[in-house]
Amino acid sequence: MTSWSTEGGSAASVALSLRSIRKHFGPVKAVDGVELHVAQGEFFALLGPSGSGKTTLLRIIAGLERPDSGTVVVGGQDVTHQPPYGRRIGMVFQNFLLFPHKTAGENIIFPLRMQRVPRDERDERLAWALKLLRLDGLVERYPNELSGGQQQRVALARGLISRPALLLLDEPLANLDRELRAEMEVEIRRYQRELQIPFVYVTHNQEEALTMSDRIAVMRNGVFEQIGPREEVYTKPASAFVASFVGSANRLEGRVAEVSGSEACIEWNGTSILVPRPLDTAPGDRILFSIKFEDVDISSGEEGGDPGAGRNRLRGRLRDVIFKGQTANYIVTLPDGVEIIASGTPRAQTLRPGDAVVAHWPATVGASFKG
Amino acid sequence: MAAIAQTLRVRPRRDFRFAWLVGPGVAFIVVALLVPLLAIVVFSFWRTESYELYADWNLGNYRTLLTEPAYHIFLARSFIGAVAVSAICLIYAWPVAYFIARYGGRYRLLLVLMLAAPFFTGVILRITALQGLFGPVGLINMTLGELGLPLLTALMYTQLAAVVGHVYLFMPFMVTAVYLSLVNFDFELLEVAKINGARPWRAFVEITWPLNWIGTAIGLVLVFIPCLASAVTPRFLGGPDATSFGMSLAQQFGETGTWALGSAMGVVLFGVSCLAILGMSYTINLRRGGFTGTRA
Repeated sequence: MTSWSTEGGSAASVALSLRSIRKHFGPVKAVDGVELHVAQGEFFALLGPSGSGKTTLLRIIAGLERPDSGTVVVGGQDVTHQPPYGRRIGMVFQNFLLFPHKTAGENIIFPLRMQRVPRDERDERLAWALKLLRLDGLVERYPNELSGGQQQRVALARGLISRPALLLLDEPLANLDRELRAEMEVEIRRYQRELQIPFVYVTHNQEEALTMSDRIAVMRNGVFEQIGPREEVYTKPASAFVASFVGSANRLEGRVAEVSGSEACIEWNGTSILVPRPLDTAPGDRILFSIKFEDVDISSGEEGGDPGAGRNRLRGRLRDVIFKGQTANYIVTLPDGVEIIASGTPRAQTLRPGDAVVAHWPATVGASFKG
Repeated sequence: MAAIAQTLRVRPRRDFRFAWLVGPGVAFIVVALLVPLLAIVVFSFWRTESYELYADWNLGNYRTLLTEPAYHIFLARSFIGAVAVSAICLIYAWPVAYFIARYGGRYRLLLVLMLAAPFFTGVILRITALQGLFGPVGLINMTLGELGLPLLTALMYTQLAAVVGHVYLFMPFMVTAVYLSLVNFDFELLEVAKINGARPWRAFVEITWPLNWIGTAIGLVLVFIPCLASAVTPRFLGGPDATSFGMSLAQQFGETGTWALGSAMGVVLFGVSCLAILGMSYTINLRRGGFTGTRA
C-alpha cells in the first residue's frame, strides 16, 4: 500500500529529515512510521483528509508532541528530544494565534526578542518583514483591528522574521474567504521562492497543495500513501485513495474479463472498458478504475463515428453543464443511470442538456488498482 | 410609512419594559448601599455624646483620626496585613488555579466547588477551627508538647496568626478569580510562544501573566478590600497586639458608642479602598489585557 519515493539529495541540502516516526494516542495510531526528507528551499505539502495524522506530524516536527519512536532532524541536527524553543522553526496556524495583547509589530518581532537580537537589527528586520508582507502602516494595530488576511500576514511575518531553518504551515488559509485564499496562495509561494526557506504546508485542500508545492505527500491513517512531485501525484496516483483524493475523478469498478500486455479489459455495468493493467492482474480480479474529469472527452452522439481504436466510448445523454468559467463539467447520464463527468473548455460547444452524447477517452489514460 | 409609525410606537414600550428589569436592582442599590454610605459620610461630621448623635457639624472626628497615633497604627497594621495577605493569596492561588484550569479536565467544576467547601459553615466556626489548630491547646502545639518539642508561639494569638487566618478565609476568592480568567485563556498561545523561542518561564511572563492580569487584579481587590476592613478574624486569632482598624471601628459602634468617630473611620476605610482600586485600575489596559483580542 505504502510507496515512498524519497528523494533527498546530499545531506547538506536536507532541511528536514523524519525517520520512522510513530505516535499513537491511546489505541489510535496517529502517525505510523513516516519517512520524510525535505530539501533546502523546497515547498512541501502534506495533503490528507482530517484525521489522517498530518497535523500530528507537523506538531512532532515543531516539538509540540514527542514521537513514540523515530528521529526528527532539522538542519542536520537531531532535535527529537529538544523542546520547541531550541529548534529554529517557524509556524503559522489556521486560526492565526496572534498574541491579542500585543500590536502587530510586537507580534512580529516576538521571535527576535526571544533570541535576544539587538534592537537595531530587530528594527531593520521588522522593516524588511513589513515590506515583504505589505504590512506598512499596520504596526501599531492590535490583532482585533486587522482583517483576516492582514492577521494571517502578520502571523506569516512572525513565522518568517527570524529566518527559521524551516517554516511549518498548518492549514493557514482555511479561515480565509475564497478570493483572499487564492491571493494568499500566490503570495505564500512568492515568499517561499524569495526566501528559499523550506516550507512544510499542511492542508486538506488538494487545490492548494497542487498550486503551491514542489512535492506532495498524501497522507491517510498515519501513513504516506504517496510522496512525489505534484505532477506525478496528480497524474500517476499510487493508490485508489490518492486517485480519488487528488483531482476530480470518475470512479468505475469492474471485473477483469481479459488481459493483454499492459491493458486489461474490464466488465463494467455490462460494457467492456479498456484500462491500464495493474501488475499481476488476472481475469476475474476486481478492478478500481479512476479517470480524471479532464481526461474524458465528449462529443455529440450524432457525429458518432468511430473515435478511433483503443478508445473507450460510452453513449449517454447530457444531463447538465456546470459552467465554471475557464472550464465546464459535462454530466453524462448513461442508459443505466450511472453518471460520468467530463470536464473541458466551454468553447463553441453546441451541446445542450438532453442531447445524445458520447463520452470517450484513450484506453491508456486513467489509473486502475486491484480492488 | 406604516413601518415607521410602527417602530415609533414600539420603541418607548421596549424601554419601559427594560426599566422594569433594571428598576428593582437600582432601587436596592440606592436603598441598601448609597443611603447608608451617605449616612456615614453625614454622621462623620456630627458628634456623639453618651451614646447619642448630635447634628452639630464639625471636623473633630477627623482631627482625632489624624492626631491620635493609635489610629495610625491600626490603619498601618490593617494595610500592611491586607497587602501581605493579598500577596500570599496571589502566590498561593496561581498554581492551584492554573492546575485546575489546565489539567482539571472533567473534574474542573468539582475541584472549584471544593474550594468553596469552607463556605458551607459560618465564618466564626471556621476561625474557631483555626484556633483549635494554632492555639496553645490546639492540635499543632498539643502534638509538639507531647513530643517534648518547643511550642510554636509564633502562631499563638499573634499578627501572623491573623494573617494566616485571612489567607485561609480569602484564598477561595483569589483562586476563583484567577481560575475564571484562566479557563478563558487560550493555552495554544503558549505553544506559539514556545515555537517562537520562548522558554516556559518567559512564555509565562510574556503571555500568560499579562493576558490574565485583569482576573488576577479582580482577585487581589476581592482579597484586599475585605481584609483591610476585617474585624472578626484579628479579634479571634490576633491576640492583644493585633488590634486592626476594622476592630477599632467596630468598637466605636459597639462598646464605646462613638458613632460619629466610627463613621469617620468608615469614610477613611472607604477612601483607602477606593484608592486601592484606583491604583489597581491604573495597571489595567483593556487592550493590553487582551480583552479586545480575537475570539477563539
